[in-house]
Amino acid sequence: MPSVSERLVTPGRAAGGVALVAFAAVALAYPSIAPNPYLLSVGIVVLNYAVLSTSWNFVGGFTGYISLGHGALAGLGAYGTGLLVTKGGLPSFGALVVAALLVAALAVPIGYAALRVRGASFVIVSIALVLVTLLVFQSWASFTGGSRGLNVPRPFPGMLRPEHHRVFFYLFLALLAVALLVWWLIDRSRFGLGLKAIREDEDKAEALGTPTFAYKLVVFVVSAFFTGLAGGLYALWFGDLDPIFQFSILTGSYMVLMALLGGVRNLFGPLVGALVVGVALEYFKVEFGNTPLHLVATGVLLALVVLFMPDGVLPALGSLLRRLDRTTDSSIREVTAAELAAQRIGGEQHAQSRNG
Amino acid sequence: MPSGALLFQSVILGLLLGGLYALLAAGLTLYFGIMRVVMIAHSAFLILAAYLAWWSHTELGVDPLLSMVVTVPLFFAAGVLLQRLLLARLRPVTLTMMSVLLTFAIAVVIEGLLGYVFSGTQRRIQLGYGSASLELFGARIAVVKLIAFGLAAVALLSLYLVMKKTAFGWALRATIQHRDAARLVGIDTDRVAGFGFGLGLATAAIGGTALSLDTTIYPSLHWHWIGPLMAIIVVGGLGSVPGAAAAAMVLGLAQSLLQIELGTTWAQTVFYIALFLTLAVRPQGFFGGRLAQRF
Amino acid sequence: MRSLETVELTKAFGGNVVLDKTTVSFRHGKVNALIGPNGSGKTTFFNCVTGMIRPDSGRVLYGGADITRRAPHAIARAGIGRTFQLCRVFPRMTVLDNVLAAARPANLFRGARGRAEVDRARGWLTKLGIEHLAGAEARNLSWGQQKLLELAGVLMSEPETVLLDEPAGGVNPALLDRIGGLVRELNAEGRTFVIVEHNMDLVMSISDHIVVFDRGRPIAEGPPAAIRSDERVLGAYLGV
Repeated sequence: MPSVSERLVTPGRAAGGVALVAFAAVALAYPSIAPNPYLLSVGIVVLNYAVLSTSWNFVGGFTGYISLGHGALAGLGAYGTGLLVTKGGLPSFGALVVAALLVAALAVPIGYAALRVRGASFVIVSIALVLVTLLVFQSWASFTGGSRGLNVPRPFPGMLRPEHHRVFFYLFLALLAVALLVWWLIDRSRFGLGLKAIREDEDKAEALGTPTFAYKLVVFVVSAFFTGLAGGLYALWFGDLDPIFQFSILTGSYMVLMALLGGVRNLFGPLVGALVVGVALEYFKVEFGNTPLHLVATGVLLALVVLFMPDGVLPALGSLLRRLDRTTDSSIREVTAAELAAQRIGGEQHAQSRNG
Repeated sequence: MPSGALLFQSVILGLLLGGLYALLAAGLTLYFGIMRVVMIAHSAFLILAAYLAWWSHTELGVDPLLSMVVTVPLFFAAGVLLQRLLLARLRPVTLTMMSVLLTFAIAVVIEGLLGYVFSGTQRRIQLGYGSASLELFGARIAVVKLIAFGLAAVALLSLYLVMKKTAFGWALRATIQHRDAARLVGIDTDRVAGFGFGLGLATAAIGGTALSLDTTIYPSLHWHWIGPLMAIIVVGGLGSVPGAAAAAMVLGLAQSLLQIELGTTWAQTVFYIALFLTLAVRPQGFFGGRLAQRF
Repeated sequence: MRSLETVELTKAFGGNVVLDKTTVSFRHGKVNALIGPNGSGKTTFFNCVTGMIRPDSGRVLYGGADITRRAPHAIARAGIGRTFQLCRVFPRMTVLDNVLAAARPANLFRGARGRAEVDRARGWLTKLGIEHLAGAEARNLSWGQQKLLELAGVLMSEPETVLLDEPAGGVNPALLDRIGGLVRELNAEGRTFVIVEHNMDLVMSISDHIVVFDRGRPIAEGPPAAIRSDERVLGAYLGV
């Protein structure tokens, strides 16, 4: 018998549903209401962040393993797509899928090395992944173009820029929808329950018969696949790849920041985080240009979230609201308890008076 | 086949480099032993110390080595504060993951501030004795590299003596091996852990000064150090200082020898290959035993 | 006959030998107790048997099969369930999900709350008297309730043999009686128990067979009456 609360439409759920519909409506209409191509391209960048942080959250949210190296997986997806188009002669979207599958395949040995032991080694490998890919893609200039960059031909050659943006906006939106759907499916599956058990207490999950290593590996590969897709789609849209930006440790830390900010336990947490951080990033880029203070702001924000709101800003706000709710709730209950006591005393007195 | 002299020179340079790696990896190992923290900001502090050495040389005109009079105590204090005020606040259950994020954030802040204050321009100390070199069996070894190695060796030796011969070192070792037991015998483990972090960060100050003598520095340089250092502590066996030192020497030597054929960038990949292979084949590391059992 | 036994199981931490060529066998279908002074290696023994720690040498046999080097989840699936010394539940999952997480899913990608599983999980919660807490987060439960929840989770994984590490630790007398009664009841249904416990009243009242550890090796074994009067056991506890 499923618990009653699951079937019930709580106010929180209703608000969430309304927010989701509103977001979907605004997102679908955005290309038509965006006043200029620049703002449309900002929308694409933010959506790209949303896909990336949602993909990151397959590992981070379910298992609690924090990766700082997902930027490298996105970069590999981007370069994989670009190289398959330019050197392999594959059609753009065929190359995109093949590249994402290759990234997923590469995630198997990486995950094998990083996930067998607990905690620390995963983070170490994830950071090392960014550093080594940057090294390789910068140095192997004959294949990757090195620091000169790699030009990826556009998939729709005849299309004008605004139209190009519009198409890619919807492509990113579709990818986001698929990633969210898969996350949601895993969340409510038995596989997802096992993953969450790993996040809560890995030894305990293992002792109850969950093959934790296999679970972690599978979800890491799924995460890598979506991250690769996001990176590849970005390559097809942007058309120009530079190792410095593709294999930047900052990309990975943005993903972490967005997911943590929005709340890693929530389906839409990373999306909300991406909206906030992504818009802020673009705003500061326009206002102040690329200064080192970017780094300072990112670092300070990350530290604040880790120190004071490790469950995310949204969940923190949510629990604050609930606490306010509960105080009114419990005061009501206290009143009834007091009333009950009064009634009981009254009854006893009544009985005593009858006896006496 | 490279000439004998070149090979010999590479071996010497590799050992000298390995010495610096060993000192820095010892610091990382110390943090890991004390709190199971992978301290990503260690190399950012290293570069910060190098910048302070460079600054005191160009702005104040003093020998970069003198900057240690200020940086070593300063970094010690920073380490104590970092542990007591920030890392100790994190929830124990998620400590490993969250401490990485926190120290990562600190590293990024330091990098950003260095870029803001000193700009992204590459800096290098021009020393009177900077170009002097010794000739040994046909190998040319720069004097500054010897000084840097000497600094690292002295610092590592002092660290060893502090750990082995002092009451504080005994308390620190006890804290690393079994925190609860250490508390039972009356050790104030929180205090000891704070000082342990101070000690670790003090080694970064010394390492950074040594580094500034013969290296061009720029704000994002710390990423080139943290990767190899993380590889070293994993290959050595997380938490084992002798393991880290041995791995540092072996990998430093390998890097130096590979540079002859492959050039500097490709030679760096040796660290990542070693890291990957260690985790895939022998996750407990090649040189250390169980975590932090020995010092 | 699927009995649990160890052959010369040895484990040392550094120079500290915790298990010293320990050879023990437990009675199948019975309530076995494993007692001994603090530091005599009982929990390490559990950890080695369940694969959480790798023994340095020796073997663990279950039903005649060597399970020594198997992963903990494989050992759990072979039919050995366990609780932990300091009760461990998944703190930020609901009580119901805590139990469901222990189900052996036939299809991983089906919904986590299949009717059959939920019914079974609620059955265990009812049996342990915490059904009314099904929707609460586990971290909000009292210590005693968490102990019951941990037990419900282990039982959900359908073990033939259940290892309980200090089931009476920090538990009030009323709950103690309930846990004792439950063990006997579940044993009557055919489950084998191996219990590490310091509460001698509980041990003596529920076990059929007692093994006494001292410094990593068994020094005595037998039914409660025999153990109570064994001088070696007294010696081990009193340090004589």
